[in-house]
Amino acid sequence: MRRTTKFAAVVAASLMALTACGSDSDGGSDGGSASGGSSTDASADVCKTADGSGPKIGLAYDVGGRGDQSFNDSAYAGVAKAVEDFDATCLEGEAQDGEAESAREDRLRQMADAGATAVIGVGFAYSDAVNAVAPDYPDVAFGVVDGYDPDDKANDNVAYFSFAANESSFLVGVAAAETTKSKQVGFVGGVHNDLIKSFEAGYTAGVHAVDPSIKVDIAYIEESDLSGFGDPAGGKTAAAGEFDKGADVVYHASGASGSGVFDAAVEAGDGNWAIGVDSDQYLTATADQQPHILTSALKRVDVASYDFIKSVNDGSPNTGYVTYDLKNDGVGYSTSGGFLDSIQSDIDGYADKIKSGDIKVPTAP
Amino acid sequence: MNTLKRIGFALLAPVIAVLIAMLATSIVILASGSDSSAGDFWSVILAKPENRIMVNIINQTSMIYLSAVAAAIGFRMGLFNIGVEGQYTLASYTAATFAGAALLPGAINVFASLVIAMAVGAIWAGIAGILRTTRGVSEVISTIMLNSIAAILVGYLLDQYGEHGGNQVRTKALHASSQVPGWVPFEDRDGAIWTLGLLAVAVGIGFWVLLNKTRFGFDLRATGLSQTAAVASGIKVNRMVLVSMLLSGAVAGLIWMPAYFGSAYTYGTTFQAGLGFTGIAVALLGRNQPVGMIFGAVLFAFLSAQSNSLVFQTDISPSVVQITQGVAVLAVVIAYELVRRYRIRLEQRSVARARTAPAQEVAA
Amino acid sequence: MSAAAADSVSADAVHAPEVRLSGIGKSFPGVIANHDVDVTIRPATVHALIGENGAGKSTLMKILYGVQKPDEGTIEVDGTQHSFRSPTDAIAVGIGMVFQHFMLADNLTALENAVLGAERLHGIGDKARAEFESISSRYGFGLRPDVLVETLGVADRQRLEILKVLYRGAQVIILDEPTAVLVPQEVDALFANLRDLRSHGHSVLFISHKLDEVLAIADDITVMRRGTTVGEADPKTATKRELAELMVGSELPSPETSESTVTDVVQLSLRDLTLTDEAGRDLLSDITLDIHRGEILGIAGVEGNGQAELVETVMGMRRPTAGRIFLGDEDVTTWDTRRLRESGVGYIPEDRHRHGLLLDSPLWENRILGHQTRPPSVKGPWINRSGARKDTRRIVEEYDVRTPGIDTVARALSGGNQQKLIIGREMSGDPVLLIASHPTRGVDVGAQAAIWSHIKRARHDGLAVLLISADLDELIGLSDRIEVILRGRMVGTFDPARVTPQDLGAAMTGGNA
Repeated sequence: MRRTTKFAAVVAASLMALTACGSDSDGGSDGGSASGGSSTDASADVCKTADGSGPKIGLAYDVGGRGDQSFNDSAYAGVAKAVEDFDATCLEGEAQDGEAESAREDRLRQMADAGATAVIGVGFAYSDAVNAVAPDYPDVAFGVVDGYDPDDKANDNVAYFSFAANESSFLVGVAAAETTKSKQVGFVGGVHNDLIKSFEAGYTAGVHAVDPSIKVDIAYIEESDLSGFGDPAGGKTAAAGEFDKGADVVYHASGASGSGVFDAAVEAGDGNWAIGVDSDQYLTATADQQPHILTSALKRVDVASYDFIKSVNDGSPNTGYVTYDLKNDGVGYSTSGGFLDSIQSDIDGYADKIKSGDIKVPTAP
Repeated sequence: MNTLKRIGFALLAPVIAVLIAMLATSIVILASGSDSSAGDFWSVILAKPENRIMVNIINQTSMIYLSAVAAAIGFRMGLFNIGVEGQYTLASYTAATFAGAALLPGAINVFASLVIAMAVGAIWAGIAGILRTTRGVSEVISTIMLNSIAAILVGYLLDQYGEHGGNQVRTKALHASSQVPGWVPFEDRDGAIWTLGLLAVAVGIGFWVLLNKTRFGFDLRATGLSQTAAVASGIKVNRMVLVSMLLSGAVAGLIWMPAYFGSAYTYGTTFQAGLGFTGIAVALLGRNQPVGMIFGAVLFAFLSAQSNSLVFQTDISPSVVQITQGVAVLAVVIAYELVRRYRIRLEQRSVARARTAPAQEVAA
Repeated sequence: MSAAAADSVSADAVHAPEVRLSGIGKSFPGVIANHDVDVTIRPATVHALIGENGAGKSTLMKILYGVQKPDEGTIEVDGTQHSFRSPTDAIAVGIGMVFQHFMLADNLTALENAVLGAERLHGIGDKARAEFESISSRYGFGLRPDVLVETLGVADRQRLEILKVLYRGAQVIILDEPTAVLVPQEVDALFANLRDLRSHGHSVLFISHKLDEVLAIADDITVMRRGTTVGEADPKTATKRELAELMVGSELPSPETSESTVTDVVQLSLRDLTLTDEAGRDLLSDITLDIHRGEILGIAGVEGNGQAELVETVMGMRRPTAGRIFLGDEDVTTWDTRRLRESGVGYIPEDRHRHGLLLDSPLWENRILGHQTRPPSVKGPWINRSGARKDTRRIVEEYDVRTPGIDTVARALSGGNQQKLIIGREMSGDPVLLIASHPTRGVDVGAQAAIWSHIKRARHDGLAVLLISADLDELIGLSDRIEVILRGRMVGTFDPARVTPQDLGAAMTGGNA
């Protein structure tokens, strides 16, 4: 009998492991259906309907996929615009939690084999896969969002889009500092890696630029497991903890986990704010979340994707590192909701100082 | 019971389970109201794999199988090592760090790294074993906790001592002389079947021999079948718990080594997490039998690798194969129990026949 | 009939129906479990159904209780024919059954166990409690509703099982070998309960193969052999011998030992052996005894007085708190079980399912159990499959284990055959000492005789035996000397040639020893 019980526990555990992945990858729909981005929703999917004669774009999402209300969606927005402007067609694929490196490579190869001329890997996790695949497809242009060439051999058909997320984070840090009443703000990172740490560093610097006495609480959902970007429940737990400790503004850099952060802000009640990331999350949030979304730190993945496709369409694809920062409008902050009206000029003042080099924003905490 | 019948019984439950899983998956696809039909799904999944996918399936099978054996060593003695995940994460990181440091040349470096991976996996599992034998802490709880600790520990160590570049952290890359890529069955671009995948073969044979041919294996199985009978027969259960945890952890340590030496060459974003849990599912599916788990591992690797094409050819999310996998595991547990009961009833009948046969002669 | 009817009938009497089974037949592929079975249970009687294990009693009971459907024949209750599809149907006409293995939830209270699954009858509140208490007091069960089942002893659990059946409104109660788990005093108490039930108008169908008990309690006796009813007997006139001959078709075996083979070589010697539990209570106190080669020392005692602890301590499964154990000349106090087994200690455990067998493993693997380090089972660190299989065939033949083959799983065998396999195994490898706990418990008469003769033969060859049994006839018949254990102490030595079961019973319960 005891054995049976234990056995059942093990079965349950292993099923949890399996099904957890399933729910994570559709985490976006957790925050309500406002995003309209579920992958089975064909009508809203430009890649299902486009049939132009322009470039064919392969779009490989990271864990979380389209509907994450964050950078996967942002990449999609850029592609959608490109489809319209250049009469392009597109293909989509999505990473599964805990998938093999070979699965990522296979996804890119399937796209290239299917005739894609531009393939975009959304997320730094595609860096190695692109590095392995690109040499086999010299006629295909590859782009990696937040990407990085892992070896010394330069690839002449790969572009790496890097974003000065520390700069946009700095600006929302200023917004947080000027909004907080409790003199305490929070940060929730998806995964404790260098990329997200640069968000944290910029944010903290922005807050302290306004008032060095403001306390910044830091929390990460996962230490190294990428599932931290697709875990709304984990995001909610982390943010709720910070609200409970007295923070009244929480900035998240956690991809699809962010919908949980917004929920936590809603539950914390009026006067508590969340700050979105990557895309203007006010626009995709649910009606009850919207009054709590102060602003979003924009990382214009859409701009980068669009630019990249444009360069492919023009016949001279971008290659190497392409940096997007405040100066070229690659990063920024959103004003939807109108919550920043009174402090917008302050924020823009800081932005000018960053552009001019008067303020150097750190990239590591 | 003759051999043919026995094989038939052994196959009955998994076949039933796989059929139920296929049925359940089809129903889910139908119910989801997707534009694609269940037929589309199966025609993609059951299509002949492309060459590179074939290679991927074989490579994944080897790692999943190692993970399944690691779990099965515990399961066979009624010990539920849920911590394979943490054990191989920590072991992979440590071995990759050691191998990357290139303290030893070429093949010796490979060998030493494998030993270190096994040792680290064993130590991490051993903690749960010691907690269980000395303090009575359930290994289910402690190994789950050790999983979390391992993930955090590796994240921290990697952050502290790894090489930072771009947005990523990784261990120092493996020197070319220690790389063990493998055999290329098709073209180069289709990839290589990792040489160290042979570890899975060796471990599988070793596990079979250990279980069926050695005293230790007998003690292990006996403890799993009836701990009370094991004690009465003179088996020191605490010692068995510790030894099998160590063995289980040592095998767990090897899980990711084929990929590391075969293509990753560094521990970073290319590390494949989640294999530990897959292994538990496959061990259940394969009834903890060395041969059964081969089929389980192939099935899981096959489904996962084939699912990648789903988004390109149908309107079905690749996550659906996880339903197939999950239902197969659940169904197999139930099917095995039913088959087991049926089999016992058959045997009891044949025993009854043996007992009454002389009587019938007398009566006649 | 007259004796039963003469019992006083109280106000809240029930009127059990007459149950008549006629021409019942049931076959499984290749085996006929029941054929031409006719039994009639008269109202308000205790009806005993006796027969060897495998005679078809259990199948018949399952048919009557609706667990299995008969292939042929009829079940009539008060003249109306019924066809039971499940136990629910049987309960509906007032037939309930108490299985040999109790089906109680340890972590629930007695009341909760009684109510569980029968919530519709009296709810789960005060009404249920009142009903529970009324049944308990009416039949003198003395069960408190709020006691946790895990704290109950075997006898109380059995009463709770009977109460459960009564709670569901049973008038005819089937008891499957109820005395197998009880000591003599508990058996008496059970019989008092059964008489109470009878006087209140209930019928009891009592399954057993213990003839003394049957003669003591039954109003009617039906004997089964090889799947059919072979006769009926009147307990007032029938003798044990007649019943036994009906049952087995031959003379009853007797355990009596012929001539003494006791030598003066001490094989096992315990000196002031003491065992305390975690709470500091003594489980065993200062036990000192010697067993010589060729001697059988019987330990008599009411169950739970330290017999199990004594066996486990001698077997190295528990470490004594004080005192020494010698095997021959060697001090083995700190030896572990395996080392003791390697030096020739055989062990027949009290609970063969839990301690003696791997139920789901084939017989030849069970042959290895406990002999993992000794030939012919092993060669060095390797299992010697062919050696083990060959020796298993030998055991099956020499000990008459009825099985189709050595690849059959142990679970499929009957209790007697399982026990014969264990005895064959433990007698292998020339043991010098045999620890035998209840060697014939739950074993049919034929197997019992075989087991006794094996033990006697080994004793003749110089084996020292520590025999623990609840069957006083067995103890008296087999032992060369009997020690009585009470609350972890040895309280008296008896010569089996002169002692009576009554004397032993008195000593066991702390009377005038």
